[in-house]
Amino acid sequence: MGKKIKKGEKGAVTNYITRAQAVKKLQISLAHFRRLCILKGVYPREPRNKKKVGKGSTAPRTYYYRKDIQFLLHEPVLHKLREQKIFARKLSKAIAKREWTKAKSLEDNRPEYTLDHIIKERYPTFVDALRDMDDALSMTFLFATLPATDKIKSEHVRTCQRLCAEFQHYIMISRSLRKVFLSIKGIYYQAEIKGQTITWIVPFQFSQHVPNDVDFRVMSTFLELYETLIGFVNYKLYSEVNLVYPPKVDADRDAGAAGLTAYILESTVEKDIVSTLVAQVDGTSVPRAEKAQRKQTQKRLASLADKLTEIEDDGEDAEAAPADDEDIPRAIVAATTDEEVVPTLDTWKAKETELSGLQNVFKGCVFWLAREVPRYSLEFVIRAFGGEVGWDASSGAGSPFAEDDTRITHHIIDRPIQSTITSTETVASSDSSAAASATPQRFDRREYLQPQWVYDCVNARKLLRTSGYHAGETLPPHLSPFVNAGEGEYVPEEAMAMSSDNEQEAVGEKESSEVPADAMEVDDDEEEVDEEEEDDEDDVAEEADEDEEALHQAELAAEAAGLSFSEYLQQQAANPNTAKPSGKKTAVKPAKKPTAAEAEVAERKELAIMMMNKKDKHLYNKIQFGKARKEEAANKLRQKKETLRKQQGTPTPIQKKREAPGPVKKPSAKKGKTA
Amino acid sequence: MKRSRSKTRTTAAPSQNEDTALAATPLESALTALAEANDSDAAVHSSDQAPTVNDSDGLDEEEDEEDEDDDDEEEDDGDLEGAEDDSSEDSEALDEIDPDEWPSSDDQEFDSDDEEETFRDNSVKVLRRKVPLPEIDPVYDPDTSDEETTNTIGNVPKEWYDDFPHVGYSIDGKPIMKGTEGKSDQLDEFLSLMDDPNAWRSVYDKIEDKDVVLTKEELEMVKRIQRGDFPDANSNPYEPTVEWFSSQTMVTPLSAAPEPKRRFIPSKWEARRIMHIVRAIRQGRIVPGAKKPKNTDLHNQTFFDIWGDSIEPVDRGIMHIAAPKQALPDHDESYNPPEEYLPTEAEKQEWKALDAPDRPRNYLPKKFDNLRSVPGYDRFIQERFDRCLDLYLCPRVIKKKMNIDPESLIPKLPNPRDLLPFPSALAITFKGHTARIRSFSVDPTGQYMASGSDDQTVRLWELVSGRCMNTWTFDDAIASVAWNPSKSLSLLSVVARTKVHLISVPGIAGPDITAATEALIGHIATLQSSPTTAALCHWAKTSSSPAPSSSSSTPLPPPTRHSAGSRLTLTFDKPVTYLTWHRKGDYLSTVCPDAATRSVLIHQLTKRVSQNPFKTAKGLVQRVTFHPTKPFFFVATQRYVRVYNLATQKLATKLQPSTKWISSLAIHPQGDNVIVGTYDKRLAWFDMDLSSKPYKTLRYHKQAIRNVSFHPRYPLFASASDDGNVNIFHGMVYSDLLMNPLIVPVKTLRAHQIVDGLGVLHCEFHPTQPWIISSGADGTLNLFS
Repeated sequence: MGKKIKKGEKGAVTNYITRAQAVKKLQISLAHFRRLCILKGVYPREPRNKKKVGKGSTAPRTYYYRKDIQFLLHEPVLHKLREQKIFARKLSKAIAKREWTKAKSLEDNRPEYTLDHIIKERYPTFVDALRDMDDALSMTFLFATLPATDKIKSEHVRTCQRLCAEFQHYIMISRSLRKVFLSIKGIYYQAEIKGQTITWIVPFQFSQHVPNDVDFRVMSTFLELYETLIGFVNYKLYSEVNLVYPPKVDADRDAGAAGLTAYILESTVEKDIVSTLVAQVDGTSVPRAEKAQRKQTQKRLASLADKLTEIEDDGEDAEAAPADDEDIPRAIVAATTDEEVVPTLDTWKAKETELSGLQNVFKGCVFWLAREVPRYSLEFVIRAFGGEVGWDASSGAGSPFAEDDTRITHHIIDRPIQSTITSTETVASSDSSAAASATPQRFDRREYLQPQWVYDCVNARKLLRTSGYHAGETLPPHLSPFVNAGEGEYVPEEAMAMSSDNEQEAVGEKESSEVPADAMEVDDDEEEVDEEEEDDEDDVAEEADEDEEALHQAELAAEAAGLSFSEYLQQQAANPNTAKPSGKKTAVKPAKKPTAAEAEVAERKELAIMMMNKKDKHLYNKIQFGKARKEEAANKLRQKKETLRKQQGTPTPIQKKREAPGPVKKPSAKKGKTA
Repeated sequence: MKRSRSKTRTTAAPSQNEDTALAATPLESALTALAEANDSDAAVHSSDQAPTVNDSDGLDEEEDEEDEDDDDEEEDDGDLEGAEDDSSEDSEALDEIDPDEWPSSDDQEFDSDDEEETFRDNSVKVLRRKVPLPEIDPVYDPDTSDEETTNTIGNVPKEWYDDFPHVGYSIDGKPIMKGTEGKSDQLDEFLSLMDDPNAWRSVYDKIEDKDVVLTKEELEMVKRIQRGDFPDANSNPYEPTVEWFSSQTMVTPLSAAPEPKRRFIPSKWEARRIMHIVRAIRQGRIVPGAKKPKNTDLHNQTFFDIWGDSIEPVDRGIMHIAAPKQALPDHDESYNPPEEYLPTEAEKQEWKALDAPDRPRNYLPKKFDNLRSVPGYDRFIQERFDRCLDLYLCPRVIKKKMNIDPESLIPKLPNPRDLLPFPSALAITFKGHTARIRSFSVDPTGQYMASGSDDQTVRLWELVSGRCMNTWTFDDAIASVAWNPSKSLSLLSVVARTKVHLISVPGIAGPDITAATEALIGHIATLQSSPTTAALCHWAKTSSSPAPSSSSSTPLPPPTRHSAGSRLTLTFDKPVTYLTWHRKGDYLSTVCPDAATRSVLIHQLTKRVSQNPFKTAKGLVQRVTFHPTKPFFFVATQRYVRVYNLATQKLATKLQPSTKWISSLAIHPQGDNVIVGTYDKRLAWFDMDLSSKPYKTLRYHKQAIRNVSFHPRYPLFASASDDGNVNIFHGMVYSDLLMNPLIVPVKTLRAHQIVDGLGVLHCEFHPTQPWIISSGADGTLNLFS
């Protein structure tokens, strides 16, 4: 007989340790354990078999990996935490004994820990750190807006504000912002740095409701870690674009609530002030290092002589490139240094031009922000996409130009219009000055737009038509740029319109044919042809089938109603709009009769399902269930849309969308830029 | 001993020289005392040594002293405090004692000060030598009080002596009288108090019962105590300390241990520690006198390129799971979503009614006309906090997302078109019955069909035309109908509750066949039942006339062209549910489940014999069947199918379909495969050569299976169910034993309406054609071709 194996000495039990055991092993309090877990990124594990791990008990316990806890055992921060405990005891004793000098000297030597080594340990590479920036940024941006209370220290708030501003500056300089979304929770931003998408949310700048059941000790521990992380990331990012870190703060401007402009960025190469990015945005004063880099890459590209000439012979791309591209756009430089793997030069170049197009969406646009629009967001977004921006003095100091600057092209405004809007076309500025005292002055050559236009432009990656976005107009819906609709999911028609527009544009650009802007009208007889659900659009043959079927059904209905065929024909001719759809809606929708072949295929499938084994059948049913649920949700939305459309009595805008791919009627006015 | 000594050393009060004397060994202590007394005065040492060496008396003397010292030490061993007491008393005694009186003093031996004085003063020394010492009275009384106590009653309450004239006893045992003369009452007491000039400084001694007049010194002491001073006027709390452990090396060290080496060399550790600090100061890490920055802002922390020298892939181990990113917002989170995303009032209510964790999303979509009217989100901090909690409290598990195309799970089957022929379309519907058709049977030639229904009739149909040729009416619902499988007979068996009718059906076959059938019945009628048969059932020829029998059948309706044939009736005790024929048509078996041990009976026509093959009942029998080729008999009970060998009369196998309730049973024409249909929706295919467990169990019907059936010629089988469907399968059995049977579903026939939860009740293939006929609860029969 072999040696008797004791319970709990082998197998899964030895891999896990409960929380209480861990605390006991580390000899710290629960609060310190929590803190340590947060800082070191140690999280509980769910054992596969709870009963085995719990030595027979399945009580809900928190388990950690034993090795994780072993790993905590040698943590310098753990020792510091112990020292802090001792320090607190000594200090309280000294204070209780009224030994002030002793207390003071103790306080001066308060044990403090740094998290540098933890950052390095948790994020071995820079990319790892970037990957985890989402939560860090969201948290810092939140704390940057919070008031300092007894729970939230003021220096934390200050640090957060500073870190956020630094990070935003980097985003603006590197033009790495990609998507923006105005949600009811706050504003989502998505940036792309080194191929990593970083998404964070910034609350609207109102005083935050601080709930009672939030444990700020947990939050502040996280914040401690995140501050350090963002500090190091910022340093790395700044040093990669040859900027001095930390940037200096212009105290006067900062006091004047200048926000982002209070920071003075300096290049490490030449020590002159690059300063307020306005100059830099023009592309005239790009840091020298970057220029040098460009030259280098240019050389490198030149060495690829034959390939490059080929491409240049190919031709149109060079023309399509932005006007300021004497040298290669910035993003290309970044790309060549970052990733050496290039799939094919053509696709790569197309991608890059697209990207640089996005990065310079607002190039040449000069924005003025009225005092009621959220400057903290708009300034950042506009400058991150190459625009210039100025703002009202009441919303902060440091505006680079005044409201009456003639360069201003877009005036972002978000307030109801009191009086005449269009009068400005005729009235000279001198005349309107009289009215200026009552209502804000209006300028001729500007577009007065609502803030959503800026965000929609960013998400559409081009300047959108301004109609619908003017001050006082009802805005089109603002859609999330983060949604990638899978098959069978509901896509709102606005998104479909957008995508079809893009396709058209692509086609149009290839043909390089300018279509006049007033080819927008949609003829009515086309409209009634396909008034059907949006999902089956491509299958032309099937559609024809269905139409015939529908026609037949309608005729049958007419026959049942006692109409003769000739009468029926007359009726059809009289009101083509109403007769047909009604026939369809009654007949076609519920029972779309499948063809014989289809029916056979369906039957064969049904028979085959009979022969599935139990396991497969279960899995299959599960998948089908999931699909059905999704489908149901999508259908619900479709149905809602349909009822809404009926209520409003508007002609289905789907038609526009459906017609859009057709080469004849193209709403090309959408495409025209309104710069 | 050791401990007390060390303590006395460290806390040595300078005035108490005795302590040091106590501390050392006798000889040593003497020497130390000398040394201390003379304070490194070498001359005194020499003078001291002289007498000890030269004088024998002096030597004696010293020996005496040593003895005393020993005593002292012994006392000191006990407790340190005792020694201290001594010393204090000594000092007190010193005050009082005159140098003249000292030889008479009791405690002179303890007083080392005295000794010292004597040593210092030469004259005294001389004196000591010449005067013979008085006898020493060692008083070993722990009570060191200097006053003599005369009253020796001890510690007893004084009240005991209240009635006596004395207060106690002297040491000699004589009573001590109370000093009450003249103090009889308080007035006298007061007067005497007034008279006594020392009254103010006298204290009443309770024990002695007398007033003690305090001396001047005692008064002084009282005053000092009241002031909070030392009681002793001469004690000086601020006496200069004596550095016992001084820098000056004494000739006689306190410890005899040699000096360790470390005393002579500088400490390396200290040097290192100091150099550490020095270096830090030089490098500027420590600025002496500089204050720490008060405000520990993060920006005092210096950031640096922490990833500067990172090696690319650092594996955190397979166990590490990175925190998942948060889900990105959908359209409905927009401040201005498309209108269809806005919840209706009902949806809002539903959302609010749910508990917070159950909600599919934690917000309600809302639409704002413009950006300025968007309020702050009140759950922002809460959501960030929840995320924090998720990050450090939630166990992380990698869940493999099944990325399977569901179509790939569906098995690839041969195209049914390749497996033709099989029944696929409804050809004929037979209407006429008014209730459920529980059973029907196609005659062996395949031209006619007889169907029995709950409306108590049996109808004869011509299969191809669908014409009802004959109708028989019985007293009870028809449970089962079966044609005799012999082609040379046209004999129909009908089960109507407890009766089994064997009817010769005229007019549907040739006259010879009809005659043969009639002859058979006639023959049976002539035979006599054996007693065993009679015990099991009653055989009787009920009617041979063309006219309808008076007992059981009512006059036939006009459409009956043919007259009803002669009829043989078997009557049982309990209702019969099922009847089946042996392939040759001579034997038939009936099932009456209620009849316990007689539930299965086998009857032989030609001999008019009924037998009970089983002595015991093995369960509720559902179906019985004869094997198509071999002498095997299948009995299906609720759970099992038992196969008996009729030749050896033994149980051959027991098939276990592992279901709850078997409904039907069919045997492949070759006899090696069996299908079993069950009320729990399953169909089990048994390969008898393979195992007693099913080769395949299929579950595709939504309701209980009522009947299963094999085609006698084609490789087809079918199942009929309460869900109204008849499923046709291609069931090919290969002669090669190594090949598994091929089972392919080829058609689902939606055959019958569901009436009262019952759908198809019976199905049977045509004996020659690839057709199937089904009967349903809706009172119709359907033929599919």
